[in-house]
Amino acid sequence: MIAFLKLIFFGLVGLSIVYLSLSVFSASLRRERLEKEYDADPVPGQTRDDYVETGMAAYRTSMRPKLLLLVYVVPVAIWGGIVYVINTN
Amino acid sequence: MRILAFLFQLLPILMVGVVLHYVLPQHDIVRVVNTYQERQDLNDWTRIFWSDPSPQSATLVNRDVQFIQTVRKKTFLLGFIQRDTTEVMVYRNEDTGWGWPFYFKFDTASLQTEADDLRSTPENPKWALITHYGWRNGYFSAFPNAIAIRPVSSPDETVIPWFNIVFFVIVIFLIGMVRAMWFQFRERMIDPAMDAAGDRMDIAQARMDARRSRMRRWFDSWKPKDRR
Repeated sequence: MIAFLKLIFFGLVGLSIVYLSLSVFSASLRRERLEKEYDADPVPGQTRDDYVETGMAAYRTSMRPKLLLLVYVVPVAIWGGIVYVINTN
Repeated sequence: MRILAFLFQLLPILMVGVVLHYVLPQHDIVRVVNTYQERQDLNDWTRIFWSDPSPQSATLVNRDVQFIQTVRKKTFLLGFIQRDTTEVMVYRNEDTGWGWPFYFKFDTASLQTEADDLRSTPENPKWALITHYGWRNGYFSAFPNAIAIRPVSSPDETVIPWFNIVFFVIVIFLIGMVRAMWFQFRERMIDPAMDAAGDRMDIAQARMDARRSRMRRWFDSWKPKDRR
């Protein structure tokens, strides 16, 4: 039981580190793209910062940040699969 | 000297390789001869070659371990090339529980029963595929741990190591991912910070120069004209 709790605890900590770094990485990629878009083709009547912030607000409500939650789902599913396959004959 | 440095750089890769060779699953074509159970002393450094089926077993000085005695087909190159000769191989059969290495094996008793069911004689052999991890070493009494066993129709069965293929694909993907994340972090966070610090340094330097030249002019004003 203690070994199981240890696995759950350290697994969750590890996956949370992966999730947080991936969220930062993904947001950073989007911000860079928005900045480059504005620099290549400035929108009249909108500052660069405004353009980027509107884009980031749209990003935060989009599907992609939610898809990153798969970081928790996929490894747990694989783990369940391994436990099942190993222990059935 | 350069060779030595190269070998030294190779060391971490070698160590990771050794750990992976111990931990990743491998397949053997075997004929089960017998199974037995034996009391094992677990109180010296060779303890690392035995499992921790449950937390309470970590403190035990000795306990019973189940074994599977087999005759197996010899192979070359990590099992990729089969040979016609055979050798004896003894596997231990232990739970790994929820701990390292992460096989989550709890069906030791069932596996032992399956192995018993597959026992055969050299005259009338029943071949089986055994999945295991670990090393056999007679001097340290180390045994590979059997994970699964299933009957195969012929001793020349080709086995595709699907788990290892997927494992290495995922590892390569993760290395690429970490690299991309690091480059992005450096480009967006570290480089601008360094640039800002560099700019501040330049401004400070310019100010110092200006002050120095003012001082110099003032000093010079005290000197005779021909020595300025």
